[in-house]
Amino acid sequence: MQLEFVHKPSGHCENGVVSNLLRFYGKEVSEAMVFGLGSGLFFAHMPFIKLHGMAVTSFRPYPGEIFARVVKLLNVKMKKYKFRDREKAMKSLDEVLFTGTPVGMLVGVYHLPYFPKEYRFHFNAHNICVIGKEGDVYTVSDPVVVDKCTLTAEELKVVRFASGTYPPRGRMYHITDATGITQPNPGAIRSAILRNCSRMIHIPLPMFGVDGIRYLAKRMRKWEQKMGKKKAALNLAQVIRMNEEIGTGGAGFRFIYAAFLQEAAAVMNQPALRDFSVQMTEAGDMWRDFSYNAARMFKKRDGDTVSYDILAVKLERIADKEESIFRGLEKLMKNAR
Amino acid sequence: MKIKDVPQDGKILTNSEVRDVCYAVDENGDYKQVISVGWDPKNEAIDYAWETIREECEEIKKDVIAGKSSPLAYHIHKLVMTPEILASYSGFSKREIKRWCEAKHFAKMSPGELQRVADALRIDVKQLVSLD
Repeated sequence: MQLEFVHKPSGHCENGVVSNLLRFYGKEVSEAMVFGLGSGLFFAHMPFIKLHGMAVTSFRPYPGEIFARVVKLLNVKMKKYKFRDREKAMKSLDEVLFTGTPVGMLVGVYHLPYFPKEYRFHFNAHNICVIGKEGDVYTVSDPVVVDKCTLTAEELKVVRFASGTYPPRGRMYHITDATGITQPNPGAIRSAILRNCSRMIHIPLPMFGVDGIRYLAKRMRKWEQKMGKKKAALNLAQVIRMNEEIGTGGAGFRFIYAAFLQEAAAVMNQPALRDFSVQMTEAGDMWRDFSYNAARMFKKRDGDTVSYDILAVKLERIADKEESIFRGLEKLMKNAR
Repeated sequence: MKIKDVPQDGKILTNSEVRDVCYAVDENGDYKQVISVGWDPKNEAIDYAWETIREECEEIKKDVIAGKSSPLAYHIHKLVMTPEILASYSGFSKREIKRWCEAKHFAKMSPGELQRVADALRIDVKQLVSLD
């Protein structure tokens, strides 16, 4: 059994699955629009949460948040499941799938056979969509893979019940009623942008939003003397991986958000948003420049003069840039009624 | 980023079906999706992380040969597991897994226990008791 499901790859798995699912029900909402409506741009540097023994730097909201926001704003009726029992989780998937419904789900990437082995860390918040089954083999739409791919029932069971931080526990979801779904409208876009502004500039804690970028810069300056060359370089490598790796990209997210602002400019008939899109592209380019220079740090060619200080200054410039963008956006949107 | 600047530094992704979808602007300043096979700084960050894991494994190997740590400690690290994650995959407690990371407790593991741990690590028992 195969559903008539158009698979399009995307920059981020959560947006991609939502966008692909909506298309199945005849609603064309781009990945960028999903990302923007989900207020998907974020920054957090959290020394109190560790991954591989190092502080977590995140460029995304908590997994599932983009999803939840979009579902609400576009009035999508969705059913969600979570399981304790593996067999039940698989049985339930088959039942829904055979009613002709594509099923989105959370999986761990550690055991995903089609991922290159270098990517297989214990990351458990990857989204895929199951769109068919022949015998014992499921057809899967994974947004980071170019074409549709397959997983055996056994493989799927393992990744749905991966262990580690934030275990997926067989979580799955599907659209139950597509009739009430609205197209992205100015009201929804406005509130999504305002929400994103607030998350980037108004969280009164130093670890989040543009302040979080400054916080990372400040801590980075002390890395070398606090933990030595080796550990400092590892911490930096972790930031870069968070910044650039599949589905969690930081610079990439700026570009997706810039693409969203362009679409939003058209939907809201607000040409000024296009200017903000240009600004956001510049912020993305600055992040790329940061990654590029940071990578030189742990490669250390002769004569290289990059230091944590230089990198920290780059981060502070990015923070200033993004702060000015979000303050401007907030003003524009508040006046846009 | 302009479309012509989208990096195509194939290394890690080349032999897989996985790609990065990038957003970049065309000559009119309009955003388009471009598929990329990777970017050097990112490839290097990933390489660096693995290189470090390999170095740390060599250190653990020395401890195993010195009779302090067990091969289990080595395999856990090599497979980027933690005692906690392995506990959850195998059904043993975290405490048990940690104990077996020491050579003297590892030596007392029963064949059944070895099998279950090996299965959870997806290697065979022969490999689990060696340093391959």
